[in-house]
Amino acid sequence: MAGEAQNPLKERMTIHGELDADSFVPWIRRHAAKLGVTQAITHHSPDRIEIDLSGAPELIDMLEVGCLLGPIDVWVETIDRRPVGNAGG
Amino acid sequence: MTVGPMFDEWYPVGIFGQLDAAGRKTMLMGEPIVVARDDNGDAKVTDGTGRSLPVCVRYGHVWTSLGDPKKKLFAIPEADQPGRRFVDVGVVRVRCSPLRAVENFLDIAHFPFVHTDILGAEPHTEVQAYKVEIREDVDEVWATQVEFYQPQAAKSASGGITTQYMYRVAGPTSTVLYKTCPPRPSEWDVITLFVQPLAEDLCDVWPWMALFDDDTPMTDLIHFQQTIFLQDRSILENQVPRLLPLDPGMEMPTRADLTSVAYRRWLKRHNFTYGAQLVAQ
Repeated sequence: MAGEAQNPLKERMTIHGELDADSFVPWIRRHAAKLGVTQAITHHSPDRIEIDLSGAPELIDMLEVGCLLGPIDVWVETIDRRPVGNAGG
Repeated sequence: MTVGPMFDEWYPVGIFGQLDAAGRKTMLMGEPIVVARDDNGDAKVTDGTGRSLPVCVRYGHVWTSLGDPKKKLFAIPEADQPGRRFVDVGVVRVRCSPLRAVENFLDIAHFPFVHTDILGAEPHTEVQAYKVEIREDVDEVWATQVEFYQPQAAKSASGGITTQYMYRVAGPTSTVLYKTCPPRPSEWDVITLFVQPLAEDLCDVWPWMALFDDDTPMTDLIHFQQTIFLQDRSILENQVPRLLPLDPGMEMPTRADLTSVAYRRWLKRHNFTYGAQLVAQ
């Protein structure tokens, strides 16, 4: 709602699936940038990607929904999220 | 473009009750076909070379496949339930991807803006959280616990009600909606969208309904559903890109779009890509 500032969340998103395509990490970075979500990829292997995120809750939700589908050459099985602290105080 | 695994799926190609011996010339995935009755009055479908194609008559429609279907046509148990009225709504041609037509049917958020004062109205625009899953046992997409305020949920509704919905994707171009039945709250009205892929960016849409409604004249039931779908057509024919993106890179889907995302995931898993755009452009 207008005039209602949202505290940014800090979360760790863990993506599981068949993720060995080179396309996915840059795809995540682009999608996060479009949404205005700050990201840092802390782990990347063929079956797991971990990302630390900071941004508005709705925008992190949107990043999760986008990643669930992802580019055509990856298959995302599950996405887990957990808070890692509150940047907004 | 190769058709891929969608080649072996079932598709609607006409209303059985409207077939005659002369037949109906139409297309299926770019191939010319003829849908007709044979000497025994049974449905018969042939391709451009005269080859007989698999045929099944169900839910008022003739179904066929260019390939070799591995499964029987999906079941709709309500089609055998006594007391329901079955409505063959007819056909609407839409210049869009067949997958786009299905996806639009699954989208709740557009109701207040496209079907204003019928299936939705401002300020009731928020889509409440609901549950979406790919059911492994039946290999279908299901969205349940969907609720939305509707000024006129059905022809039989006398005023605005909060309508419960369940969506089901039973085939790559076949979807079933279960919604609150105003005259009989313990039952679901069944409204389907069966889509015939004529080409990757052109389809014939065959809605069909199984309702508990003894009062509304058949022409009014048909007119109500056609009105809804004609409102959708103007949106569908202007969507960019024309094909359904399986990479959401150029879109920003939200939680309200989870049914669409689940449908696209299911298409991707099966390599059902006829009518899909694989890479965001």
